[in-house]
Amino acid sequence: MLKRRNLESQFNIWSISSFIIIMFVLIPNANILLNIFEPANENWNHIKEYLLQDYIINSTILVLFTGIFSILIGLIPAWLITQYEFPFRNFFKWALILPLAIPPYIGAYTYNGLLNYTGVIQTSLRNYLGINVNPTYFDIMNIKGAIFIYTIFLFPYVFIITRSFLAKQSASLVEASRTLGRSSFETFRYVVLPISRTAIVAGTSLVVLEVLNDYGVVKYFGITTFSTAIFKTWFGMGDLNSAVRLSALLMVFVSGFLLIEKFSRGAKRFSYSTTKIRPLSRIKLSGVKAFLVSTFCSLIFAIGFLIPTLQLLHWSWLSYAKILNIDFFIFSFNSIFVALFASILIIIISIIVANTVRISDSIFSKIYSKVAILGYSIPGAVIAVGILLFFLGLDRLIYSGRLVLTSTILMLIFAYIIRFLAIGYNSVESGFDKVGKSFFEASRTLGVGITKTFFKVDLPMIKPAVISGFLLVLIEVLKELPLTLILRPFNFDTLATKAFEYASDEMIHEAAISSIIIILICGLAIYGIHKLSARKGSKNVN
Amino acid sequence: MKKSLFILALAVLVGTVSSTPASAGFFDFLFGKDNGEVNLYTNRHYDTDAELLKQFEEKTGIKVNVLKGGSDELIERINREGESTNADLLITADAGRLHRAKAAGLLQTIDSETVLNNIPANLRDEDNQWTALTVRGRVVVYARNRVNPLEINTYEDLTAAKWNDKILVRSSSNIYNQSLLASLIATEGEEYARAWAEGVLNNMARTPKGNDRAQATAVAAGTGDLAIMNTYYIGKMLNSSNPEEVKVGKQVGVRFLDETHINVSGIGLTKHAKNKDNAIKLIEFLTDAQAQEFFAEANYEYPANPSVEASALLKSWGEFETQDINLTKLGEFNQKAVEIFNEIGWQ
Repeated sequence: MLKRRNLESQFNIWSISSFIIIMFVLIPNANILLNIFEPANENWNHIKEYLLQDYIINSTILVLFTGIFSILIGLIPAWLITQYEFPFRNFFKWALILPLAIPPYIGAYTYNGLLNYTGVIQTSLRNYLGINVNPTYFDIMNIKGAIFIYTIFLFPYVFIITRSFLAKQSASLVEASRTLGRSSFETFRYVVLPISRTAIVAGTSLVVLEVLNDYGVVKYFGITTFSTAIFKTWFGMGDLNSAVRLSALLMVFVSGFLLIEKFSRGAKRFSYSTTKIRPLSRIKLSGVKAFLVSTFCSLIFAIGFLIPTLQLLHWSWLSYAKILNIDFFIFSFNSIFVALFASILIIIISIIVANTVRISDSIFSKIYSKVAILGYSIPGAVIAVGILLFFLGLDRLIYSGRLVLTSTILMLIFAYIIRFLAIGYNSVESGFDKVGKSFFEASRTLGVGITKTFFKVDLPMIKPAVISGFLLVLIEVLKELPLTLILRPFNFDTLATKAFEYASDEMIHEAAISSIIIILICGLAIYGIHKLSARKGSKNVN
Repeated sequence: MKKSLFILALAVLVGTVSSTPASAGFFDFLFGKDNGEVNLYTNRHYDTDAELLKQFEEKTGIKVNVLKGGSDELIERINREGESTNADLLITADAGRLHRAKAAGLLQTIDSETVLNNIPANLRDEDNQWTALTVRGRVVVYARNRVNPLEINTYEDLTAAKWNDKILVRSSSNIYNQSLLASLIATEGEEYARAWAEGVLNNMARTPKGNDRAQATAVAAGTGDLAIMNTYYIGKMLNSSNPEEVKVGKQVGVRFLDETHINVSGIGLTKHAKNKDNAIKLIEFLTDAQAQEFFAEANYEYPANPSVEASALLKSWGEFETQDINLTKLGEFNQKAVEIFNEIGWQ
């Protein structure tokens, strides 16, 4: 009897902390979203009449084409790497993730600086060859250019998820297809494509959410989308109500996209009859084919990482004497510190909530898992003001007349948690999914408490998922811009805000050093994730 | 492992909170320490500004805490923070924004003779709730090899048929364009301003894109002949670390128009400032002749204090005559300007 009560109380610690966490995530957002029920104002009619159509068209075009191209250049190399052996294959396995280290807004500044009239390409043509090209050929500051930028810096989401799926799950089906005499292309078209659908959708959803949320690229290129519109109505017109209305529309847009996919997939589902994970035997390519495949991967790597990085290094070289000083260590320290701190908290919270959801079967746990990933689909600006209001409210409760919590680093970190909890949560959840519940149940049957079971049994098993989740969050926080800009404390600069400040002052060269440091740190984190997955998979998947 | 992680996190957290200047309030509250500080929300983020603020700290012993951000976001933040705001001062790079802060009841009168003496009346708010720090003109930049600058004398000339397909200007979401149109609404009326904007729209060489520098570059590249832009960007291009940009800067000329539209970077005192005396000291310091020279030059702008001369580069562009309006009007007509842009389809 005593034992049983003990177990229950332990269970309550997990579910109570989850409940509190979920409330903290929910309240600031709900606070803002309630604005939708207020009556529409004059501004809203103006927006509806003159602007809304543009927002919808532009956002749709961006999402649609970025989605399609990301699938193409994410899935094809993922498939090539799984299926074939070719020169530098092991390098591309992780190098094709590296474009994620470059925040799209920095990529946009870099490519525009590279291609415009004063950029290295046109000036070389002009100064050395005497060719004056029509500058519009090199103009990327339009919707096509934005699609290019988003695709080349976000496709790795599709690449990572589909590659890891194909590496682990495709062996038996693909080998059956080969045995039955299908060509490589037919195997790809009729086997690989359908079975990877869920993975493709998961990766593409991340790309789509990033595109819809991005503010830097579209602002710079002068394209009006939902995210620029939300900033403009809120801060430019001072109209919170209409801004929230736009965000709500955006969320409808996102959910609609996900629902359509779900329905069109219908009952088609591909699960595996066996739990045994086995790598696909790779076909060795040689000669022209090997050359073509390597070149294809090199090209993606060059455009997505190498070229922009070299350009930024060159600019850093031109400007370092003017701006590099001790302050850069402080910015770097700030960036790394908040990123580490937020990532650790996010992972701990993810573990608490995911474990509660896994253990309990109640309707609440289903809701928890939805709320945990809510922040990722809400525009950064909306989260920012939701959190500001929430902290102001807290401060009024604590001590009137002075801001105690507001404008502290706590507020910023809290914002990161809401925004990026989804990424940490998804990693941890997938870790739990792989492990299943049987070990947990065995341990519980043997009379061990939930908490002890967690530390002794579950945690060691999900450790790789926890660490890669941690690194993914770290990368995102380092790159984050809108929340940091709006919510940071006094005298607080990060690498991202510094890069943005210089860039928005039209000082692209001066922005290069901060950008390079961001890319370096994120690149290291990516390499870490790669090493980790290579180690954990070394026994069966390579 | 988790426990030690947690303890580490907690230790780091406490360390950070106590070392964050913004939390000074918290510890003052605990220990009753006296405040020798002033809190500045600013849209300017030039490295030289930090230098100047350091000089102020050394001179007065008053610590300056800085929060940088977009003007609109900072205003919204002060608004939301209400009576308990940390902000004592607000600096924005546009008079329209300062007026918006004033209209929202976020500012109060700067009670200082020194400031009144330093800055002329047309560069201050009618109720002295804000004052200009630096001045810039929104001018026409032309291709030296193709355009005779004498052919263009007024903003209205930009709508003439001969400039069809020749004009470059950035998007209407940019506040400088909004303020330019607002100034035309103020001086010539709404219908005139609408017709003017439509005329410019018809003459554009391409749909608006890029920043002000991109417009000058497009002139050099031959996409168009005239660009509407702020004076200081030419200064920045001539001093760029990219030699190609310097070349562009040299290929274009600056043309001041009759009644040149000017705008300012300015500073306002917040209504609920906790360090009002220190804040006024900082405004006095920044409008003083000595600081003005440094502050304006950092961004190739004209000093707001008339006793200070503009830099040699700016003087080389020549003298100009400014629009005869109080800059408060830029804020009053901002909303109208935005609506006109949206309605005529100037992106």
